[in-house]
Amino acid sequence: MSLQHYLVISSILFTLGIFAVLTRKNAISILMGIELILNSCNLNFVAFSRFVKPSENIVGAGAYVLDGQIIAIFGIVLAAAEAAVFLAIILAIYREFGSIRPDEVDTLKG
Amino acid sequence: MVVPLISIILLAPLAAFAIFALFGLAKRSFPRQDILSTAAMLVALGCSLYLLTEVVPKPDPYTVEWISLGSVTFSMGFYLDSVTVIMLIVVTLVSSLVHIFSIGYMHGDPRYPRFFAFLSLFSFSMLFLVVSDNLLGIYIGWELVGLCSYLLIGFWFEKDSAANACKKAFLTTRVGDVGMFIGMMMLFKKFETLSLHGTNGIFTLIADPAKFTGDTSDIVWLSGAGVLIFCGAVGKSAQVPLHTWLPDAMEGPTPVSALIHAATMVAAGVYLTARMFPILTPSSSLVIAYVGGITAIVAATIAIVRFDIKRVLAYSTVSQLGFMMLALGAGSYVAGLFHLTTHAFFKALLFLGSGSVIHAFHAMHAHHDEEHAEGNQHEHDDHGLVHEHGSEIPPDQDMRNMGGLRRKMPWTFGTMLIATLSISGVPFIFSGFWSKDKILAGVLGRAMEWNSVHHYILFAVALVAAGITAFYMFRLIFMTFFGEPRNQEMHNMAHESPWVMTVPLVILAILSFPVVNTIWFNKDYIKPPDQHHVQAPQHADISPNNKTGKVDFGFSIFGISEAHAAEDESENADDAHHGHGPAHTIAMVLSIIVAGLGILLSWLFYHKRRFSAESVATTFRPVYTLFWNKYYFDEFYNGVLVALTVWKSRLFAKFDLSIIDGIVNGVATVTRAVFAAFIGFFDNRVIDGIVNRVAKVIWSVGGRIRRIQTGAIQTYLFVVLGGIVLIILIFRVL
Amino acid sequence: MEFPLKTLIFYGFALVTIGSALAVVTFRNIVHAAFALMVTLFGVAGLYVFLQADFLAATQVIVYVGGILVLILFGVMMTSGRLEMRIHIERGQLLLGAGISIALLALLLTVIANMPVWKNLTDDGIPHEPTTEQIGKMILQDKFLLPFEVVSVLLLVALIGAALISRKEVRD
Repeated sequence: MSLQHYLVISSILFTLGIFAVLTRKNAISILMGIELILNSCNLNFVAFSRFVKPSENIVGAGAYVLDGQIIAIFGIVLAAAEAAVFLAIILAIYREFGSIRPDEVDTLKG
Repeated sequence: MVVPLISIILLAPLAAFAIFALFGLAKRSFPRQDILSTAAMLVALGCSLYLLTEVVPKPDPYTVEWISLGSVTFSMGFYLDSVTVIMLIVVTLVSSLVHIFSIGYMHGDPRYPRFFAFLSLFSFSMLFLVVSDNLLGIYIGWELVGLCSYLLIGFWFEKDSAANACKKAFLTTRVGDVGMFIGMMMLFKKFETLSLHGTNGIFTLIADPAKFTGDTSDIVWLSGAGVLIFCGAVGKSAQVPLHTWLPDAMEGPTPVSALIHAATMVAAGVYLTARMFPILTPSSSLVIAYVGGITAIVAATIAIVRFDIKRVLAYSTVSQLGFMMLALGAGSYVAGLFHLTTHAFFKALLFLGSGSVIHAFHAMHAHHDEEHAEGNQHEHDDHGLVHEHGSEIPPDQDMRNMGGLRRKMPWTFGTMLIATLSISGVPFIFSGFWSKDKILAGVLGRAMEWNSVHHYILFAVALVAAGITAFYMFRLIFMTFFGEPRNQEMHNMAHESPWVMTVPLVILAILSFPVVNTIWFNKDYIKPPDQHHVQAPQHADISPNNKTGKVDFGFSIFGISEAHAAEDESENADDAHHGHGPAHTIAMVLSIIVAGLGILLSWLFYHKRRFSAESVATTFRPVYTLFWNKYYFDEFYNGVLVALTVWKSRLFAKFDLSIIDGIVNGVATVTRAVFAAFIGFFDNRVIDGIVNRVAKVIWSVGGRIRRIQTGAIQTYLFVVLGGIVLIILIFRVL
Repeated sequence: MEFPLKTLIFYGFALVTIGSALAVVTFRNIVHAAFALMVTLFGVAGLYVFLQADFLAATQVIVYVGGILVLILFGVMMTSGRLEMRIHIERGQLLLGAGISIALLALLLTVIANMPVWKNLTDDGIPHEPTTEQIGKMILQDKFLLPFEVVSVLLLVALIGAALISRKEVRD
């Protein structure tokens, strides 16, 4: 298993997330797409962290091998916070508009 | 020692005025302004008398730089020579006596302190004029005395006649002053300085061939400048044709007439002409001589037929000033200034004497009013005498109301008689005789030396004027003091004036004798300045004092020998009292004859009543009418100049109203009708059209473009991601 | 040749992950999609294990599967009222989204394939020491202390904000 394997999986996940965000007509589904994107990013961080050694002078001398994992932890925390706020906003929108279809929430329509 | 003394002379009267002004700021009066002003003048008089002993006749200007403009520097300073000192004494002496006289004369006037303050300001101005060493300083003093004259003529400004007279005086003299200023500028252009004395003064430069070549164009330039500066003197000294303001100036208080309009300010013109003596050319001198001669005869003939005692004296003053100008124009520098001083004394005396007479009647009026229990009307009746057009004579100045006053007012009569004898030229014991004789001799001498018809004519004119002078002055004396009282009521009320008024009269009477004027015969003390521009090179080394004969003397102008001035001086050096030259002898004899003739005729007409003045007037009615109407000068000015000005003003007003306003209104109408309409159309259609069209286009474009903003968040995301893909593709491919 | 069990398992995880992700974006029933997402998250956690990130794998399961996914399902129930809420997809939008997504994927794959440095990086098979202790030290003692505290505060703020936004507005 090389780095490229993980990168390809991560790319596919990212693209599927983008696809979900672009096409789904439900705010919850969009949130799921976003979670896919975040997971692909985390996977990338961890993969680079695993395969790129500090001695190879790519991420810089003295860098910790586990830096990528810690960034991924921060990413998970971020995802949690984002999900909480996202759902709160969805609830508020639902109360206001009676719907969570993003194309129906178009107050800013020109 | 000289500078501090001059400073005191100048500052003392100025301080008196300044104290008045400072108290004026507090809306109060200095308690004894009269004493203050008089004391200041006495201090100045004392300093002037001291200067007489101090100054040596070696003049030097004391100057300081005043204004520096580039390469040109205007200085301010004093110039002190014998003439200056004599002028200082004349001014301070007459001024002091007038101050003292005014204490009595002006008593009870509501603006009593102001009168003395103005007198002080005038004295300062006059003294400043006298001691200034440059034309700029003289001009400043010149205008200041003009201002004071204006203020004092209009002192009783409640009277319309006084208010009009002061305006007339101010405006008329201004005509001459304009000429004087132009003349100053001409000199300035030529010499680049206004200083007269010292190494860089005009009088030094004019003698320097390097600076002033003396060719024809320069002489013409200099003649023009001289005549124009003389214009100032014409205005200030009331020479024909600008003399008309002086008789009207008699509306001022009589002490003012004595000080300003007889002794000092009007003499300033003579003084200026004398100061400018070195720059006078033969042609400008001739102009001056003619103006002086014409003035002398014209004013004298007018004086014959006046009945207002002050007007007689006013025209007499004009006439005598004409004599002085004539003397200066004929090159008799010493004679002109000599007559200036003697005239200052005896004419001041005559004016103060007439003031004394008027005061007597004034007092009568006051008494009369009190009898009618209207004491508070005092000054109203005193000074509010209405006489419109200046032709009606106030009763207290009308000689037809007088007569027989010699017993009522012995001191006034005696002193005025002395002055009259002096001005009439009664020989030998009166100063007026000597000065007038000197003038006549000067003119005749110039005529004989130059063999000049002009000067023979001028001599004849002056001789006749001298005779007429004697006639009308004795007419005044006879009508006022001799004979029977014409108005018994007024006569009964008349009385001698108080001592503050008679003492100055007595002092001035003493000064009318030649003994105190002998300084003018002191050849070492007074030296006439050279007229450099006519000095021929071959005569440059000859001193005038060395000349003994009467031919081939020093100066030659255009081939004519100019000698009389020097000859006259040498005569004086030899014998102060008896001229030897034929000119002098002839002049003396003739002047005695005409003076005697004038007095005799006056005696026959007005005392013995052998002839009737009325019948003579009827016989020579056209001449009489001419004299009575003062040669129609005022009518000419009113009828021609004033009318012309008014007509011109009306014309311009009409021009303004019809053409200028018409153009403006027409332009406005056209603008409103055509231009405004076009602009309105343009605005409404073009400008608004453009604006609206632009707005409409933007509106429609915006209406279409806003469809882009769907408000749907996924649409935006599509665009963003599509853009990213595109950008990356472009960069990968290219 | 050793039986490549490890490789087979890896590919298995990869397939599960990608397949379930595909299901997430294609299922019309949102609840089904949510459960597919759970499978995907498990798959990613398995991949973490392959990358020797044991602590992270555990965190992934706990936080995502135990927290976020529940949150999502909770949101579905709150907003639709029916668990089997259908997802409407317009055809044009679907095609456009698919096009952009495929272009993006092509780009990414091109980059991955053409990056020479990354080709030689293969798994050397050296097992990691357990990472939990190291991560704990790095977060609480080392240079990540401050970011950790900041993220903690951020999480707190997000939760308070979410509670504030989602509660029923009390109008006077």
